[in-house]
Amino acid sequence: MTRTVPPPTQPPEPDGPRQVSKFEYNLLRILKFLVGHFPADQGLQLVRTATTKPECISVGAVDLVKDVLSKALVLFLTRAGGWRNDKYLRNNTPASGRVWGRIPLDERTLEFSRPVLDFLFWLTAEKVHETKQAWDAAPKALTPTDELFFALAFDAMRSDPDVLAMLRRKDTFSRNPFCWLTAPQDVADPEATKPQAPDFTPMFGGLRAVLLECLQTHLTHRWIRSERDKGQLGDWKRMRHQGNAEFVALRDFLKAAEAARRADLARFVLRTNAAVLQSDLTPVFWTGGLQGSGPQRLADRLETQRAALAFPRQMETLEVWQERARYVGYFDDDYQASQMWKADWEAVNGDRVAARARAAVEMLEPLRGPIAGQPATGTGTPGGENPEGSSG
Amino acid sequence: MSRAYRITVKESETRNLKAGDEICTELEILEILPPEDMATLLKEELKKRGFEEQDDGTMVRKDGELTVKIDPCSGEVSVKAETEETVNQEAKREATGFNDVGPNEKNLREKVKDQLKQDLDKKFDQEQSRLQGKATEALEKHLQDLQPEISEVVNQVTRDALKQKAQQIGTVKEISEDAESGSLTIKVEV
Repeated sequence: MTRTVPPPTQPPEPDGPRQVSKFEYNLLRILKFLVGHFPADQGLQLVRTATTKPECISVGAVDLVKDVLSKALVLFLTRAGGWRNDKYLRNNTPASGRVWGRIPLDERTLEFSRPVLDFLFWLTAEKVHETKQAWDAAPKALTPTDELFFALAFDAMRSDPDVLAMLRRKDTFSRNPFCWLTAPQDVADPEATKPQAPDFTPMFGGLRAVLLECLQTHLTHRWIRSERDKGQLGDWKRMRHQGNAEFVALRDFLKAAEAARRADLARFVLRTNAAVLQSDLTPVFWTGGLQGSGPQRLADRLETQRAALAFPRQMETLEVWQERARYVGYFDDDYQASQMWKADWEAVNGDRVAARARAAVEMLEPLRGPIAGQPATGTGTPGGENPEGSSG
Repeated sequence: MSRAYRITVKESETRNLKAGDEICTELEILEILPPEDMATLLKEELKKRGFEEQDDGTMVRKDGELTVKIDPCSGEVSVKAETEETVNQEAKREATGFNDVGPNEKNLREKVKDQLKQDLDKKFDQEQSRLQGKATEALEKHLQDLQPEISEVVNQVTRDALKQKAQQIGTVKEISEDAESGSLTIKVEV
C-alpha cells in the first residue's frame, strides 16, 4: 500500500535568483559537490580554500541548503535502489514494492541535525587539510540521515589524500557505519594493525535499515568494482590494510545482521560474490597486481594474501545461514524469512558461488596437499609465486 | 698557525640476534566420527610420526630449528622456524680536525662515535635481515617437505575413521585399499 501526503506549502519564491554572499555561494557549491551535483575537481578546490566566515548566513541561503539536502538525498536513495520493486523483511515477514510502497512515510522521513550545517560551515571557512579549528561531532548525536550525508561527503572527498587524512581522524567518519560499508579501506586507520569497525547493530532497525534497503544495489556495484580493482593493487602494505579493514567491516556487519535476523540486508555480500565468482578463480584474481616478492617474512606474505580475499571469505558465513535456513520448518517463526533467503541464495546459484569462494580461499592455505592419486596443483608455499593461469 | 690532526675511532659490538617466521593453517579433517574421536585418531597418527603430546593437548615435533605444532581438537597447525646467532661487528672511522677552528678533539671524537654507532646499527640490521631470510627460507623448504606428510596423516585419519564408521554401521565384510588412487572400498553387511 502506498501512502502519499500532499507536499507542505512553501512560501512564495522571490522573483529571480536569490542573492547570497560569497561565503554562502561557496558553501552551497561545496554542499552540491558533497552530494554529487557539482564537479569533483572544483569541489575539492573549494574544500582546500578558506573563505572568511560571516557571523551568520541569510535566510535565503539556509532555505537553499535545506532544499539541496532534502532533494539530493532523496534522489540519491531513489537512484541507489529505492526505486526498485523489491522484497525486504518487515517484522520478519517479506514485504514487497518500492521503498515508498513498503515503508510508511513516518518511518522513512529524513531528518538532518545541527552537525551537518556546522560541518558545511567548517568546510567552507577552513582549509580542511590544514585546519586550525578542530571540528567534529559526537557519533551518538547524529541522526541516521546525518550519518548517510557524512558517508556521502566522505566518499566525495576521499580521493584527496590530505583531506582524507584529516577526515579519518574525526569520529564523525571513523565511527560512521555507512562509511565502513562503503569505503572501509579509506576510513580505517592505516597505522592500526587491527582495524576496529563501529557497532553495526543500530543499522538493522528504524530508518537506518530503510536506508540500507535502498543502498543494496549501490553497495553491490561498489564492492564489485572494489574487488575487480584489487587485482591492480601493487603495494603489499596497502593490500593488507585494505583487506584487513574489509574483513573486519564485513565480519562485524554480518554478525550484526544475523543477530538482528536481517539476512536480507546482507544481500549485497551474496550478490557481489556471485558477480565476482562467475567462474573458477585463483587467488591471482585478487593478488595478481602485487609488485615484487613482498615482505620478507612468509607469515606477512600469507597474511596479505589472505587479507586480499576478505570478500570471498564471507561466503563461509552465508553458507552457514543457508544451511540453517534449510532446516527451518513451516511452523517455525522464521519460515518466511528463511524462504526469502533461500530464494536469494538460489537466484545466484549460491552453492556454486560458495564452492568457488572456498576453493579460491583454500588455494592460499599452506599444507593443503592433493588427494592421494591426484596430481599436485600447488607448491604448498603460499609465499612463493602466484599460481599461473588465473583470469586475473 | 693552524695544525691539522687526524683521529681514528674503532668500535666493536657483539649482539645476540634472533629471527623467526611462522605460518598457521588448519587441517582439512572430515567429520566422519564425532570431533573427539577424530581428534583421538589424529593424535594416534601423529604419535606414530614422532609428535609428542604436550600438557595443553597439542602435539609438537621439533625438526632442528623448526617446530611443528598441531592441535588435534581444532586441527590448527603452526609451523615455526626460529634461528639465533651471536654476531660480532666492527666499524672504524677516521676524522680530521684543526687545533684552531672547528670542534675540539673531544667533540670530534664524540661525533665520530655517534656515526660509528649508526654504522654498527646498520650492519646489525643487515645481519638481522640475512638471519630473517635464513629463517624464512628454512620454513619454506620445510613446508614443501611437510606437505606430503600432512596429507598422508589426513588421509590415514580419514581411512581409519571410515573403517570405524563402517564397523558402527554393521559387519565389515571386505576392505580393499588402493594406495595409488587413494580409494578405499568397504563392504558392510547391515
